[in-house]
Amino acid sequence: MQHDQQAGALSRRGLFKVSAALLAGVTGLATLPKQLLAAPLEGKLATLIDLSLCDGCADRPQPACVTSCKQEKNHTVPKPVDPIPSPFPTNIIEDWSKKQEVANRLTPYNRIMVQKAQIMVNGQEKNLSIPRRCMHCDNPACATICPFSANTKDKNGAVVIDQELCFGGAKCKTVCPWQIPQRQSGVGIYLKVAKELMGNGVMYKCDLCIDRLKAGKTPACIDACPKKAMLIGPREQIHAEAEKRAAALGGHIFGKQENGGTSTLYVSPVPFRELEQKLTPASPDPKKGQPLLKPDVKRKMAESDGLGKAVLAAPAIGLVAGLVGALGKLSQRRAEHAGKESR
Amino acid sequence: MSTVKLIKRHELIVLLEHWGIAISGIALLMSGIFQLPSAARYKITAIPGFWWSGEFFFTLKLHYIASVVFVGLVLFHLVYHLLLQERAMIPQSGDVSESVKVLKTFITNQPEPPFGKYLPEQRLAYVAIAIPVLLLVVSGLIKTWKNIYAPDLDRTLLLWATWMHNVGFILFFMAFLGHVAALLIKPNRPMLRGMLTGRVTREYAEHRHPRWVSEIEKNET
Repeated sequence: MQHDQQAGALSRRGLFKVSAALLAGVTGLATLPKQLLAAPLEGKLATLIDLSLCDGCADRPQPACVTSCKQEKNHTVPKPVDPIPSPFPTNIIEDWSKKQEVANRLTPYNRIMVQKAQIMVNGQEKNLSIPRRCMHCDNPACATICPFSANTKDKNGAVVIDQELCFGGAKCKTVCPWQIPQRQSGVGIYLKVAKELMGNGVMYKCDLCIDRLKAGKTPACIDACPKKAMLIGPREQIHAEAEKRAAALGGHIFGKQENGGTSTLYVSPVPFRELEQKLTPASPDPKKGQPLLKPDVKRKMAESDGLGKAVLAAPAIGLVAGLVGALGKLSQRRAEHAGKESR
Repeated sequence: MSTVKLIKRHELIVLLEHWGIAISGIALLMSGIFQLPSAARYKITAIPGFWWSGEFFFTLKLHYIASVVFVGLVLFHLVYHLLLQERAMIPQSGDVSESVKVLKTFITNQPEPPFGKYLPEQRLAYVAIAIPVLLLVVSGLIKTWKNIYAPDLDRTLLLWATWMHNVGFILFFMAFLGHVAALLIKPNRPMLRGMLTGRVTREYAEHRHPRWVSEIEKNET
């Protein structure tokens, strides 16, 4: 009886909730451009993270994007060997296998995290939530200068680390403006090569759920977001959508220019410079898996592009110089020969 | 006052090619090693004057600068000597067995056979160094193109270029060490003077390269 009463109460409350949710859902979905939802996940893709919609899943113990990413990816990290070899001479071992539940920073087992910022938005103090993961840069140094090409950029824009090829040297982390990739020691190919002397595990980061994308599915985090704060679609459409939303909010975009452009666009109602200053905990440390949000980060490798172009021109320069030099030498020989004959 | 009679072994252009490729090649080996995450790990960055060794973007610039010289000179070398039909460094049939015989003379102190301008093992060494150089140049150009214009380069091509470059690096490093180690063999040492000044003593040339000297004399007459 009590159960029935409760059920009734629940059903009335439930009905109200369901109706409200349906209304919100339909309204919410109606505001999303259909082509982004219906467009096939082909060609160059981009993602949009709308900070005006993300509430960090305040009603859940953990943001849905974080939970779904863990479910999707944690099993992809192999169990490290025991004991993990000590890398010479640093002896630095990074083992997250016993701390898989950590969610307040990026780790090999936590490839998306949600940062918080308490900030004034249109005169009202609000808590903004900022999901952070790999930006999937347009020209990512982490991939282009990986010595073993273990980190590559897919045609669809996703930057993906091949776990079978990565030695865990962490160069990708060093050259990433946000130091996103995280290392798990004691796993990977280095164990079979020179485990104490070269490499130290495998680097892990968001791969935009490349396997799901190839199967025509959206990444797990986007799929799970209850607020539809994250979107994926053809790059041009996502860019247009980001511009539209930023204009409607009187807001700002992050990721369009940063590090030379990325495949991830954040739309925020407040400037990112202000947002970064209000991040909690204060002064995040990228070395500790807490990326910064500084706008206008330059693509450092752009400084060497001019020299790279000179390298590409070098064969033509050498060829022309060789041609000119040889022709000059031949005519000199001919002149000498003619001189000898005339004598 | 004793005067040493000298004979011209290399033109200035050949010296420039050799030393240009040598110096840029050493710079490439060094900056290439520092493209591996090795300098910080092995505390090379802590050596006074080597702070830059762990700066990947900086060592990439060094790698590019050295590549301009290296790649330019390799192409110059190929075109220049091909057009002038200078083929003295190209291996000839029988060079392998001849090289074995010459190597035996180094060990047994037996007299060497008379040589032309180059020793048979020098011609083989030329090929042994030319193969990794060509691997490195081709794969390096692909990698540079990728860095600037095509970060999403076809993965198969990228992996080929990467491993051609990595294997080429090991082969080139070994060939470089072998090339320098050739100076440990005493009879080879007078050739260093030739590579530095373009000239060797007539005495050395007549003793070790009589076929080359007679060729020069034939041309002069």
